[in-house]
Amino acid sequence: MARVTIPATLRSLCGGSPELEVVAATIDELLRAIDARCPGFYARVVEDGRLRPELAFAIDGEILPLGLHDAIAPGAEVTIVPALGGG
Amino acid sequence: MTTVEKPQYRVIGTRPIRPDGVEKVTGKALYGADIRLLGMIYGKVLRSPHAHACILRIDTSEAERAPGVLAVVTHADLPVAADRVEELGESAVNVREVAENILASQKVLYRGHAVAAVAATSPHLAEEALQLIKVEYEVLPHVLDVLDAMRDDAPLLDENRRTKTLMTGELSEKPSNVASYNRFQGGDVEAAFAEADVVVEREFRTKMVHQGYIEPQNSTANWNADGTLTIWTSTQGAFAVRNLVAEVLRKPIAQVKVVPMEIGGGFGGKLPIYLDPVAALLSKKSGRPVKIVMSRTEVFEATGPTSGTVIRVKAAAKGDRLTAVKASLFYEAGAFPGSSVGAGSMTMLAPYNVENFVIDAYDVVVNKPKTAAYRAPGAPAAAFAIESVIDELARHQKVDPLVFRKVNSARKGTKMVNGIAFPRIGHEECVEAALNSDHYRSPIEGPYRGRGVASGYWFNGGMQSSVVVAVNTDGTVNLIEGSTDIGGTRASLAMQLAETLGIPYESIRPSVVDTDSIGHNDVTGGSRTTFATGMAVYEAGMAIRREMVARAAKLWGLPEDDVEYDAGIIRSKKDGRQFTFKELAAQSARTGGPITGKASLVARGVGGAYGTHIVDVEVDPDTGKVTILRYTAVQDVGTAIHPSYVEGQIQGGVVQGIGWALNEEYVFDEQGRMVNASFLDYRMPTALDVPMIDTILVEVPNPGHPYGVRGVGEVPIVPPLAAIANAIYDATGYRFTELPMSPRRIVEALNGLSG
Amino acid sequence: MKRTYVQARINGEERDFLCEPRQSLLEVLREELGLTGSKEGCNNGNCGACSVIMNGRVVNSCCVLGVEADGAEITTIEGIARGDRLHPLQQAFLEEAALQCGICTPGFIIAAKALLDREPDADEHRIRFWLAGNLCRCTGYDKIIRAVQRAASQLQEASS
Repeated sequence: MARVTIPATLRSLCGGSPELEVVAATIDELLRAIDARCPGFYARVVEDGRLRPELAFAIDGEILPLGLHDAIAPGAEVTIVPALGGG
Repeated sequence: MTTVEKPQYRVIGTRPIRPDGVEKVTGKALYGADIRLLGMIYGKVLRSPHAHACILRIDTSEAERAPGVLAVVTHADLPVAADRVEELGESAVNVREVAENILASQKVLYRGHAVAAVAATSPHLAEEALQLIKVEYEVLPHVLDVLDAMRDDAPLLDENRRTKTLMTGELSEKPSNVASYNRFQGGDVEAAFAEADVVVEREFRTKMVHQGYIEPQNSTANWNADGTLTIWTSTQGAFAVRNLVAEVLRKPIAQVKVVPMEIGGGFGGKLPIYLDPVAALLSKKSGRPVKIVMSRTEVFEATGPTSGTVIRVKAAAKGDRLTAVKASLFYEAGAFPGSSVGAGSMTMLAPYNVENFVIDAYDVVVNKPKTAAYRAPGAPAAAFAIESVIDELARHQKVDPLVFRKVNSARKGTKMVNGIAFPRIGHEECVEAALNSDHYRSPIEGPYRGRGVASGYWFNGGMQSSVVVAVNTDGTVNLIEGSTDIGGTRASLAMQLAETLGIPYESIRPSVVDTDSIGHNDVTGGSRTTFATGMAVYEAGMAIRREMVARAAKLWGLPEDDVEYDAGIIRSKKDGRQFTFKELAAQSARTGGPITGKASLVARGVGGAYGTHIVDVEVDPDTGKVTILRYTAVQDVGTAIHPSYVEGQIQGGVVQGIGWALNEEYVFDEQGRMVNASFLDYRMPTALDVPMIDTILVEVPNPGHPYGVRGVGEVPIVPPLAAIANAIYDATGYRFTELPMSPRRIVEALNGLSG
Repeated sequence: MKRTYVQARINGEERDFLCEPRQSLLEVLREELGLTGSKEGCNNGNCGACSVIMNGRVVNSCCVLGVEADGAEITTIEGIARGDRLHPLQQAFLEEAALQCGICTPGFIIAAKALLDREPDADEHRIRFWLAGNLCRCTGYDKIIRAVQRAASQLQEASS
């Protein structure tokens, strides 16, 4: 079970839910599982087989450059955040 | 130093001399502008005098015939760039926009925007030739203010730009200068406002400011007839330069080699590329190596300062709790999208546990240079706003401002506004250390004297690093790495390797090498190098330890499990036979060949960091001058690998913050021209403007790193803006919501108050 | 543009060079003489990265013309160490970690040397005042001042 925080502007797709629990072993499975509950979610965030470049995944407290095939540990906490830069 | 659960180290925590130090104090170190190549010629860039205009025609014919001129280039010489996005170091970049910024094609979007370049046998001849290039412009109305740019009747920088809602990808119907919008939301702010003891609502304004590195941008390029290209440049990321140049010039990556020279400051401003493709094209056309160095005016007008902002905050307190925050952040992106409003919106509340929040973030283009990262980009302005409001709330509730911060502090498990739960963090420890500090316990007395405090946060970065470690037969070690050294990382990396291998620091020679010589390294920025390249160094060191164990086991005829590595000694567990590192190294040829270790990784386990600052000021009501009487910066540094360089990062960031708070700003005239584009009038702090900056290093080790490292470089610039504003309030009773709090503004404000 | 012949004593050595009247001393040092230790930060006398000692005074070499150096005695950062023996200021900068990127360091060492040569017991305020013409963006000045103080006390010990 992964716990996903749904970004505010996408919550309308999920009937307003700020959080979901889904079963998924990879990022792609996670996004599709969310899509099943929030129709249109997948197409909104994935482009050309990857997360849109202005977005980033955060897993268990860390923002990481993950691909769709990367594995997710059970119990992971996942969200999507704006991509960042440092200076 | 306040330390929490830290092991005993041999090398880590000491203060050895940095390996590149002697070269730098004797003037022998080679920075980008110091390079000399046989046959080298000099390039100069022609820049738009208008803030917004169409380019109708560029006639370079006379310039091409001018004395000493060997090549002239315009956007026409760049390959056509698709509207694609490439990952540059830490954030994605749109290649078309990068190419547009490097040499404008149809429109110029800010005064200083590059339109053409010339290479000649002397820099003076190149400059003279620029004046012979004729550009016909159709001047357009321009917009400089972020709120003005959002109006329906604002001049549009790009007729095709629509507002993208960041997470959904949806585009607005009408074109707009608002490039993107995002919202974070949690709990119920309206309910919390209704129940609050006090609600404070304020609008804050900060101005565009520059990183202020003393060394201007530079690039020297040599394009060979076979298409191979070498670039020597001062950059925060040689691989980022290489990949982006390859993209812009449509070359295979391996055909481009970037040699990172020593760099004279960056702070994020030397992450983007400006000159490299131009120098490359000039070299291609002329058949000679071409060096281009920016003037200081060009640095101000045509590199990447940071956003001016408007931030509206409405916040509530009940008792001693911060119960709700509603904020709107409007950041100038400059000519192309991509301000740091996202980071601003995410760091603003990071020191606190606030359940009810709505944060809206707008990225807005205006006719100013495209903004780039500046040390914790986005965070200082956001902290200025929220930390000022928290000061008001705490005062109203009659709670000490540090105690208020402690009571509301985020802890492990607290969620950021973006939903990420914090791992082990150190804000509370910082506030405690500040409360207990000698500074905070000392009274402050006297007319027009006041004290202010503020906290701040930065994520810090992980990302990719590659290193190779080679053991020499005399036991000395070469550490080959690709993270350009902007503040002493050669030392901190060598120290981590020395700690891992159990050998003396002095026996390690670190080198920062070019892009042909090591695997990919992401940029030196984001406070990532000591953490991520350090992790690669640790892994490479561990690989060498394993190899040493294998060699000894072979020599002794023992299974590897019976051999251990301990502080530079390789020992048989059975009978106490041992080799020193040096002794085993001497036998490498006969035991299996050269002993090397390598690591290429994406560093995970990043620890964010906090700072809490205390500043005492004295305000002169007649001149408006603010004297910093005393400054103490408390910061959670994880583990201070080299305490002197950690202190130095903090002190440097604090002084940049002092300049930002009190004096620095881009002043534009009505034509969109920066009128103070020199160090005389873009007023950065001098040695006379600041006292000694005291630092208190709190060490809450980051559990994600073998030595507990947290990035340190960026956090220190986040609290000073608000700390100083809060101190000025304490001193004068006037709350500034606009920066800089320059002498003129202070005199005007205090006279308004009293008159 | 016709070049002028100039002779000067630089770091104790007689040197000569040709330069155009419009070239600054900074440009000449870096381009004609290969002494790249002096740096260009602003080219208009505001940052001090180009500081050299000319006829006993600290000057911003970007504000001096190359032709003005004729017959002058000039010390640049390259002339501060004696062979492989560092000047106490250089050693102090290393020990106090008074440099991060190092681009301003040559200018600071030159300016600080000029100060300590004439005022060996300058106090903190005097040091800050004297060095206000040298900009540093990395260090916040704290460790630079401490390095100068450390060198000052070492120099005073050596001479007593």
